[in-house]
Amino acid sequence: MKDCCSHKERKKNQFIGNKINIALAGNPNVGKSVIFNQLTGLSQTIGNWPGKTVEKMEGHLNFLGHNINIVDLPGIYSLSAYSLEEIVSREYIASDEVDLIINVIDATNLERNLFFTFQLLELKIPIVIAVNQMDILRKRNKDINFEMFEQIFKVPVIPVVAVHGVGVYQLLEEAIELIYEHKFNPHKKEHRKKRRTHHHHFKIKHMYPKLELNTSSRELFQFPDLSPLLSFGKEVEEKIQLLEDNIEQNIGDTEKYHYPSRFIALKLLENDREIEKLISKDIHNSEIIKTSKDYRKNLEEYHGEEISTIISSEIYQNINKIIDSILIIDTRKETKKQSITDIIDHLTTHSILGYVILALVLIGIYYFTFIIGDFLGGLVDQLYTYLSTDIDTSTVAGKILWEGAVGGFFGAVGGVLVYVIPFFLLIEILQDSGYLPRAAFLLDKFMHVLGVHGKTIITMILGFGCNVPACAGCRIMETEREKKISIALTSLIPCAATMVVVMGLVGEYLGIGFVGLLFLINFIVIIFVGRILNKTMPGECTELIMEMHEYRKPNTRVIIKQTWVRTREFVFRSLPIIILIGILLEVMYIFSVLESVNIILTPITVFCLGLPAVTGIFLIYGILRKELTFALLEVLAVSIGVGSVSLLLSPIQMFVFSLVTMLYIPCFATIIIIAKQTNWKYALQISLLEITIAIIIGSIVNWGYFLIVNF
Amino acid sequence: MNEIKFNDSDQISKIGKTLIKCLTLCQKNEDVIVLSVNSGMKAKNHLANLGIVPGSIIKKKKEAPLRGPLEIEVKGSKIVIGRGIASKILVNCNKECNI
Ligand SMILES: Nc1nc2c(ncn2[C@@H]2O[C@H](COP(=O)(O)OP(=O)(O)O)[C@@H](O)[C@H]2O)c(=O)[nH]1
Ligand SMILES: [Mg+2]
Repeated sequence: MKDCCSHKERKKNQFIGNKINIALAGNPNVGKSVIFNQLTGLSQTIGNWPGKTVEKMEGHLNFLGHNINIVDLPGIYSLSAYSLEEIVSREYIASDEVDLIINVIDATNLERNLFFTFQLLELKIPIVIAVNQMDILRKRNKDINFEMFEQIFKVPVIPVVAVHGVGVYQLLEEAIELIYEHKFNPHKKEHRKKRRTHHHHFKIKHMYPKLELNTSSRELFQFPDLSPLLSFGKEVEEKIQLLEDNIEQNIGDTEKYHYPSRFIALKLLENDREIEKLISKDIHNSEIIKTSKDYRKNLEEYHGEEISTIISSEIYQNINKIIDSILIIDTRKETKKQSITDIIDHLTTHSILGYVILALVLIGIYYFTFIIGDFLGGLVDQLYTYLSTDIDTSTVAGKILWEGAVGGFFGAVGGVLVYVIPFFLLIEILQDSGYLPRAAFLLDKFMHVLGVHGKTIITMILGFGCNVPACAGCRIMETEREKKISIALTSLIPCAATMVVVMGLVGEYLGIGFVGLLFLINFIVIIFVGRILNKTMPGECTELIMEMHEYRKPNTRVIIKQTWVRTREFVFRSLPIIILIGILLEVMYIFSVLESVNIILTPITVFCLGLPAVTGIFLIYGILRKELTFALLEVLAVSIGVGSVSLLLSPIQMFVFSLVTMLYIPCFATIIIIAKQTNWKYALQISLLEITIAIIIGSIVNWGYFLIVNF
Repeated sequence: MNEIKFNDSDQISKIGKTLIKCLTLCQKNEDVIVLSVNSGMKAKNHLANLGIVPGSIIKKKKEAPLRGPLEIEVKGSKIVIGRGIASKILVNCNKECNI
């Protein structure tokens, strides 16, 4: 034993810098992220795929002396080129950067999950199949014949219960073995029977020599012959073979395209634009593309169906034939009892109760975020005030650094972060439980009025907490048009920070009824903007197609982890910007630039909106963080000695001021996210549109009130 | 293993004799077989990936109010489909379709 350990130690050193790259791939909601989190712990980074607005999750771990790099790919249903996620995943998997794929599949939904597995197998890349959620399957008195599964697929297949960590390290063990052995040896698998949860329980069975990773392990890998499993019906198979031969004759080795020749043949037949683009870079290949067109036409005529339908249904037929031999159903114990999740599902999609629950959920999100944020924000403010007493801010530099940088930092923490954290927490719970698709189901019809389908309601709900992650979430929309409209609508949702202003002014001094009125106006503006964009943007509203997952008990670890990762991400992305602008504003203040800003803004603030001139600069600050408009008002009230904001603003001014704050522009961080998701032009257009709307509606309220009172 | 045969397209021809009807109007919780999907390319491909192809057995589970989307059960998972697309999915259910 001792020997083994020192041996291990020695080996470990050899492996430093020797990375194995693994990608987790599978349908949405199968448990990829849970496995990813189990394996990588906190050492993860969220980034974007180069040039794409698809999130890239990457993490590292050291397992049995191997340096392993894991990428959590976006959840997708197929490897076609219909969505950005699919294209990103496919290109990444095919690239040299991946040594092995762990295909995570949901045991309770084998057919649809295997559909994706079948496509992955065509890429002929080392693969380990993780059959996750075995706990749920077994609860339903079903099981899986793993020996048969492996016999049919000729790759390692591991039972996993990700939430309990069962089987996750075994995945890595299999992965490493596969990479080093260059092929799958099923007879070595007796040791698999015992289930282990922690990786220090693993015996070092095989110590592999240092891997020469510059000669890609993938090239050496002997992919099993799966032709009986993967072959299509006679007609389709014949055409694929012919096309493949054609490709091999003309192109020879398809290594330079990173895809196997059969995969290229299949995709060309399927009319896959991306692959076609790739192949047609070489003009000699135009013949191949022409042939594939002929074959496709041929097949479509023969079957009377479109090619994608033909191929999909043949894959599903193949799957149907193997499901019976893989899936074990204990018919004696099969129960048809209504479970608690069925009842919750029934209530939350009920045609009347469903809407009541939705309203309660929305109010609940806001309430919780606000209460907790307000409390924490108070603490942070006290801390800042306490720290400020000993600081000398009489010098210019001291003022810039302390009030600009440190003040900006505390402002960001106390004004934004305290709302963002409880909000992320709530949203994770809501998301993890599976509620949000129900809201999309209930409101889909209504959302069509605004030119988008029901999925937008999900991002809009997220927007109640913070517009920034919510607008980032608009990437789930299928078309560019829908993404743009969704972003515009989401950016109009009053976020937690806006609520600080509304509740502090109107809620405090005018009563909750007027808060309701503000909401109503905001709501009407959203409908109005949606209708305008729907009319003016070219293209049509697509229809909703969305999977509705079963409700699950939210997993505490997952939620806390996700909240932490998101918050950290938020902090690193936006805090530096907020601090920088804090410094900038402080500099402008010192050099009296702000006075002139107020004067320039007078026509709008004083004439149109009927507000005091000094509010001009507050509204400018508000772009940075909306709650600043109110916070500065309070500061002003104190500094000129009136004490209460109610002596500074008349009731109608309060109402108009809150209304304008709600509507006038997305905050700075949101504008940046919008620009990232679309482009700067669109971000500026949205901002301009919202400014215009705010001024117009603010003026109408101001002048309308004036006229009513005076005449 | 050996007795499993792959690829013979028997299923579609067997159901070829039934009358074509549409999904929006068939009864809830009734097993029906998809005959064809006549939506646009993109939606069709999306549905195919989710397991809604000619020959698959599906079931209407719910309908959102005011002619909203439908919830369909297919191969053990639940899919929500806008009514416009659902009306383009033809199945062999028992009610007449009015399109
Ligand atoms: N009961 C059970 N739930 C699981 C298991 N694995 C994941 N989940 C839950 O499935 C949901 C989706 O998991 P996630 O990792 O986010 O899926 P992803 O979309 O593939 O990344 C979460 O609510 C998890 O808590 C499992 O093995 N058993
Ligand atoms: Mg995930």
